Amino acid sequence: MLHRLFDVISSLKLTVVCLSLAIVLVFVGTMAQVNFGIHEVQHRYFQSLIVWWPPASQGLKIPVFPGGHLIGAVLLVNLIAAHLRRFRWTWRTFGIHLTHLGLIIILAGGLFTDLLSVESFMRLAPGETKNYSEDSRAMELAVIDGSDKELDQVTAIPEARLKQGGTIESESLPFRVVVRHFYQNSRLQPLDKAGPGAVSAATQGVGSQVVVTEVPRATAENERDLQSVVVEIAPGQAAPSLGTWLVSDQLGAPQTFSFAGKTWRLLMRPQRYYKPYSLTLKKFTHERYAGTQIAKNFASHAVLNDPERNESRDVLIYMNHPLRYRGETFFQSGFEQDDSATILQDVYNPSFIAPYVACVIVSAGLLFQFGYHFVGFLRRRKTSPAQ
Amino acid sequence: MKFHRTHLCTGLLLAGAILGGCKDRNAVKVYRVAKAETESPAPQAAAHDSSGMGALPPMGAPADIPGPAAQPSQVKGNPPPDWEAQPLSTMRQASYLVKGANGETADISLVALAGPAGGVLDNVNRWLSQLGRTAVTGEDLAQKSQHVASPLGDITVVDLQGLPDGADPAKDGRIIAGIVTADGKSWFFKMRGNAALAGSQKEGFLKWIGTVQVGADASGPEPAVPADLPAVPADHPAIPGASAAPGTLSAPAAGPEKIKWEAPANWKPGAPAAMRYASFAVAGQNGETADISVSVFGGDGGGDLGNVNRWRSQIGLGEVDAAGLKPLLVPVAGKDNEILTVDMAGPKGRVLAGWAKIGSRTWFFKLIAPDGLAGSEKAAFVKFLGSVQFQP
Repeated sequence: MLHRLFDVISSLKLTVVCLSLAIVLVFVGTMAQVNFGIHEVQHRYFQSLIVWWPPASQGLKIPVFPGGHLIGAVLLVNLIAAHLRRFRWTWRTFGIHLTHLGLIIILAGGLFTDLLSVESFMRLAPGETKNYSEDSRAMELAVIDGSDKELDQVTAIPEARLKQGGTIESESLPFRVVVRHFYQNSRLQPLDKAGPGAVSAATQGVGSQVVVTEVPRATAENERDLQSVVVEIAPGQAAPSLGTWLVSDQLGAPQTFSFAGKTWRLLMRPQRYYKPYSLTLKKFTHERYAGTQIAKNFASHAVLNDPERNESRDVLIYMNHPLRYRGETFFQSGFEQDDSATILQDVYNPSFIAPYVACVIVSAGLLFQFGYHFVGFLRRRKTSPAQ
Repeated sequence: MKFHRTHLCTGLLLAGAILGGCKDRNAVKVYRVAKAETESPAPQAAAHDSSGMGALPPMGAPADIPGPAAQPSQVKGNPPPDWEAQPLSTMRQASYLVKGANGETADISLVALAGPAGGVLDNVNRWLSQLGRTAVTGEDLAQKSQHVASPLGDITVVDLQGLPDGADPAKDGRIIAGIVTADGKSWFFKMRGNAALAGSQKEGFLKWIGTVQVGADASGPEPAVPADLPAVPADHPAIPGASAAPGTLSAPAAGPEKIKWEAPANWKPGAPAAMRYASFAVAGQNGETADISVSVFGGDGGGDLGNVNRWRSQIGLGEVDAAGLKPLLVPVAGKDNEILTVDMAGPKGRVLAGWAKIGSRTWFFKLIAPDGLAGSEKAAFVKFLGSVQFQP
C-alpha cells in the first residue's frame, strides 16, 4: 500500500498534472483580478490550499480547485520523492540531480517566503523617529493599558483573529473581548443622518451615535478595506458588561473606558511590527529631471539607533540601495506628494537567499550535465571509425 | 531506489518544518512600549472614502496609501521658549513638552484632520470624557469657551479640568484646547498635563496658537508669493519662493500685524477668504461689484513686475517688461509709508492696486471691477491707501 502511494507521489504523471493545474490556476487567478483585485486573488487563489466557491459567501462553500499552496506543496513532495526514488550516484546523472536540487530549493524557498515573509512600511517625516513599521493592509485592535507612568502595555488582537469571532482572552486583560461583528469593509454614518429605523452600532462610545454598513471589498490597486469591529467588553460574572464598542480605522481617536482602577484605550490601527532599534529621518531628498516632475532620485538620510548593540550610525537609503539590518531590508519605496515624508518598505524574508542559491545550483547542474555530455560527445567523435 | 521508511520520515520532517515555520497570524500579541501620545486622532480617510463621515469624530488612515496617515504640514509659530520641541509623529503637526519644577509635565500638540472632524462640541465632550467628566451641551460650551484670533481664523478655546481614574496627577488633570476650521481642515491645538502647570502655561499657549500658521513654506524662509492667490492658473510658471504645487500657494506670512485704515463708508466687509487679511465689496448701480482685498506675504511677494503682469493678464492685457512697468507706477503717500500703485484697464476689467514693503513683508491692496465702477471708486481707493497706517 505504502509502495503504491510512493509510486503515485513520485510519478511523472503527478508532475504533469500539477503543472497543468498550476497553469489553469494562474490563468483563472489572473482573470479574477478584474473582480477581486490582486491582493484578494493572491489570498484566495495562490495563498490557499483550496479555492472555494462562491468566494463571497458567508455560508456554504464548495471546494472547486486546488489552491496555490496545495499545488506547490504536492509538486515539491513529488519532486523530492522522484529524486529519492531515482537517485543513483553516477557522474552521468550528477548534473540532473543538481538541477533538481535547485528546483526543490526554488519551490521550498517560494513556499517559505509565502509563509514567513512580512512586508510593511515605515513613514517618516524629517526629525521623526520610529521603532516600528506598519502593515499596509492588515489592521489590529489595540487594547492599551496606560496606567504605567513610562510604558503602555498593548494587547494587539490581529485582524485575522477578529475575523474568527468568538471570545478573546488574554492574561494581560482583566476582561474578555467578545467579537460581536467584524466588518471587512465598512462605511460609517452618523445615526441622526441614517434615516428611520437605523440602529446604532454599539451601546458605548462614539459607536452609539454611528451606524455601520458593510460594503463590498475594495478591489482597486490603490484602495483598501476600511475595517470595523463591534466588540463587547465583558468582565465576566464578577462585574456587569461594559457594553459594546465600535472600533474602526475610520475612527482615529482612541476610545477610553475605566475598569479595575485603570483607564483603557481601544483603537483600530494598522498592524505594527516593533523592532529593537529605531530610525530617525534626518533629511529626505527628492530630485527631479529638470523641467519635469519625473523622479530622478529620492533618498532618505536617516540615523539608525540600536541600543541593544550599542550602535548608532547614519544610513543612506536610496533607489536600489536598501538598508539591510537584522534580517530586514528597508527599501526606498515612496514619498508624500509634498515631500513632507519618506516611505520606506520594510521586508523581512528569512528565505530571501533561496532563489539566489537555487539559481547557482541549477546553473551549475546544467553546465555540468551539458559539459559532461559534450565532453563525451567529443571523445566519441575522436574515437569514431569515420575519423 | 525503493520506498523506505526513512523516506517517509524525511517527508514528515519536511512537512513539519514547513508547518512549524508558519506565521501564527491569529496570535494575540502583548508588548510594552514607550508611552504613546495622549491624543492620537489620525487624519481622515479622504482619497477613497465615500462614506460622507464628515460629521463624525476623527477618522482613520487614508485608503490609498500604505502605512499610517501621517502627512505633517509645515507649521510655523512662536512657542514659549521653555517648551521643548518633540519629534513629530504620524499624527502631530507640532509637538512640545513643558516641564514643571517638581516633575510635572504638560504635553502640547497640534493635529490636523480633514473636514469638521466631529465639530467643536463632540470633541470637547471627548476631551471631557478623557478627564472623567460628563458631557456638556452646546449652550454650556458657548458660555465656557473663549476665542482667539489667529492666521488660521477664529479659534474656539476651552479650558477643562478633571482627573480620570488611575491617572497620574503630575501628568494629567487639565486640558486647554483650541479648535479652528481652515482650508477644509480642522486644527486641534491641545495642551494636556498637570493642572497647575497647564494653568501657568495657558497664556503662552494662547499666544502660540494666535501665531501658528501652516503651509508648505511656513517652516522655511519667509514665503514670497504674489497676492490674489486663487487667480494663479495651474500652469503658471514656477514662482520664486513658492514651493507649493502649481495652482496651490502657501498661506500668507502674516502674523498678528499692526495695521489700521479707514475704509470708505460704502465699502462693505467681504466674505473672509483663506489667503486674505481683509476683504471689502462695493456694489455698482447696475449690479456689478468691485472686489477689494488686503493681503500680506513674505519678502517682495513675487516682485513688482511679476505681480503687475499677473494682474494685467486677469484683465486681458499683455505683459510689460521692466521698462514698460516704470511709467505705470504711481506712488501714493500713506500715513507713514509710500505705497506704489498701478491703475490698469483692459477688456476684462480694471485693476487698481497698491503695495508697500514693510519690514520683511509686503502688503497688497487691490481693487478689481468693471471699468466704470473701478473709476468711480478710484478716489475712495486712493483715500483708503492714504489712511493705511502700519505702525499705529
